[in-house]
Amino acid sequence: MKNRLKFNYIVYALAVFTWLSVSSQIAYGQTSKKNTVRLRADYFKIMNDHIYFDIKASSKIDKQTIGVAHIDILVSNIVNDDEIELGTVKTNMEGTCKFTLKSLSTLKVDSTNTYNMRFSFKGNDAFKRTSKSVSFKDANIVAQLTEKDSIHFIQATLFDASTNMPISERLLNVQVQRLFRPLRIGPEFNSTDNNGTIIVPIEKDIPGVNGNLTFEVVLNDSDDFGTVKALVNAPIGIPIVDESTFDERTMWSPRNKTPYLLLILPNLVILGMWGLIIYLTLNLFKISKP
Amino acid sequence: MEVSDKLIQDLAPRKFGKKGVIWTISLIIISLAGIIAYIDQVIKGQVVTNMNDYALWGIYISNFVFFVATSFVGAVTVALLRLTNNAWRTPIVRVAEIISLASIVMAGITIMIDMGRPDRLLYLFIHGRMQSPIIWDVIIIPTYIAICFLLLYFPLLPDLAILKEHFSKTSPRLSKLYGKFSLNWTGSEKQKRIQLKSIHIIAILIIPAGFILQTVDAWLFSTLFRVGWDSTNMGAYFISGASVAGVGALVTVLYVIQRAYKLDHYITDYHFDKLGKFLVLTCLIYLYFNINEYVIPEFTSKKEEITHLNHLYSGQYAPLFWFVIIGGLIIPIIVLLFKKGRKPLPMFYIGLLVVVGSWWKRFLIVTPTLLQPFLPVQGVPEKWHHYFPSFHEWIITFATLAMALLIITALVRYLPIVPIQRTADEQEAIRTNKPLSS
Repeated sequence: MKNRLKFNYIVYALAVFTWLSVSSQIAYGQTSKKNTVRLRADYFKIMNDHIYFDIKASSKIDKQTIGVAHIDILVSNIVNDDEIELGTVKTNMEGTCKFTLKSLSTLKVDSTNTYNMRFSFKGNDAFKRTSKSVSFKDANIVAQLTEKDSIHFIQATLFDASTNMPISERLLNVQVQRLFRPLRIGPEFNSTDNNGTIIVPIEKDIPGVNGNLTFEVVLNDSDDFGTVKALVNAPIGIPIVDESTFDERTMWSPRNKTPYLLLILPNLVILGMWGLIIYLTLNLFKISKP
Repeated sequence: MEVSDKLIQDLAPRKFGKKGVIWTISLIIISLAGIIAYIDQVIKGQVVTNMNDYALWGIYISNFVFFVATSFVGAVTVALLRLTNNAWRTPIVRVAEIISLASIVMAGITIMIDMGRPDRLLYLFIHGRMQSPIIWDVIIIPTYIAICFLLLYFPLLPDLAILKEHFSKTSPRLSKLYGKFSLNWTGSEKQKRIQLKSIHIIAILIIPAGFILQTVDAWLFSTLFRVGWDSTNMGAYFISGASVAGVGALVTVLYVIQRAYKLDHYITDYHFDKLGKFLVLTCLIYLYFNINEYVIPEFTSKKEEITHLNHLYSGQYAPLFWFVIIGGLIIPIIVLLFKKGRKPLPMFYIGLLVVVGSWWKRFLIVTPTLLQPFLPVQGVPEKWHHYFPSFHEWIITFATLAMALLIITALVRYLPIVPIQRTADEQEAIRTNKPLSS
């Protein structure tokens, strides 16, 4: 009888403990709040090369904006009321990711020749679902190097790809690629004329490895056309000698670029010495033979 | 050649007395304390040391360089004296061989203690770059260990066979062990021929190996372009310094063994006199290199180098620097130039002074340079400009020194310190007036 009473107490205690644990979890689940994710997507077009979207997911947590890492972003092309899924990308530790397209021919336009894209996150335990729409038209830049009276110019024309009409009164940046960030050249504002064209003179004293320079003509973050960039390679810089020993066999290069002398000499010493050590060890066996 | 019973009785290993037992137990206790401290270091990381962003090589590397230097005694005494057929070498070579082996084994262990992640030791072999002097060290140390072992083992074979016979009645287990290690040595012509040829090869081989070892050790520093290290002198400087440390250690250990085993008839004043002359020669050469390293740069160097030198001459390291120069070199030279100074007891004290000086010399090579960084950083904590080893570092370092002495003690306990067969052959050669092969 006493045992029965003790057993009942244990069952009640276990039941109370289980209820308390579960109820606290439910209460927590009801009161926990999901954070809002903010998506940003920018369209980039590199002429005669690829097209990509830079996507960044951020959230304001404890009054601090942080990148939302490792979430899947679905990329879709919106055509009228249809949504064509293109793929999914995952954000990195900083909350950014890149979605690349080989060409715009994989996308469809609406009746106004506008590309409509949607970037959506379906939400998870910590963050609410969200989406971001981006619309843009296709624009092209044709850039070339010209020369007049021994002065070099970058001539570039911006036009609407769908109508093939020049786009006037747009600011184009002309810059030359450098190691860390591009160097702007020419006037501060280069607005396209009625023919959609700009002409920028190039200074003569820009140094480049073996005299090679890469110029960029950029339509920067346009509301209608996004960012469009055209590259022009030109051997018109002041040649500088590349003193990098990156491809050479040096003392400071990785192990696959060890100088031959350092491979041959120490290995010969190792082989010679260990060869003799093995010979001497064999001599010990010879001595031990009866 | 028959070996007389008296000779065997005199030279065979003997059980330690009370002092020997206390000595051995003390070494074991210090070693165990060091092992415990090292385990704690592995668990907690090198935060238990006082090494910092500037002094990233501390007492462990100084200790490692000291062990490497001391191991040079095998090459400098045994091999050179053997190849030049110096007959007086016989009673001292085995001690030199034992010191060499113990030191180089401990050098290998000490360098691992300095590793933050010893579990990644294998990576040195898998991912090592041949351009790095550290990899050269990784290669040469095992090579030198193998050569030192063979240098000790080959001449031991006849003595092990003698000891097998000697202990057959009094200690059959020990006799069996000696028998196994004597590799069925009977003293046949064929065995003698192979043994002599092998010893000759090792005597030649250990000289370049020893030189490579010391030079690589020097290049660990001189390839770094740091003040105090950036010197073309460094290889030769390290070799001469190693000779001093090695011969100093040999003299000290030899005296203790002579007293403990009462081997006055075999290790005589004559041997100490010869070693004294040898030590004074090595000290003079090392002093010459020190003048090259410290005096001439004072007049010719740039600001950073002179600042470094002034730290040594009159800065925080001045007392240590002058102790090393005066106590570790000048006093030994003066004392050893006199015949009375080359008697066993003064030699023992001089040897001890030289060894202590040599140890601190390695500390002075490593630490002051590190405290003057190649690229000084502004606003670093004041403590980065100073380094004094932590309790863990001292305990572990003392333990490595104790372990080296423990290896020497164990080998002295179980091996004949003066080669029995060789001594017998020499006595026979003197008696019959016949030349003795080297």
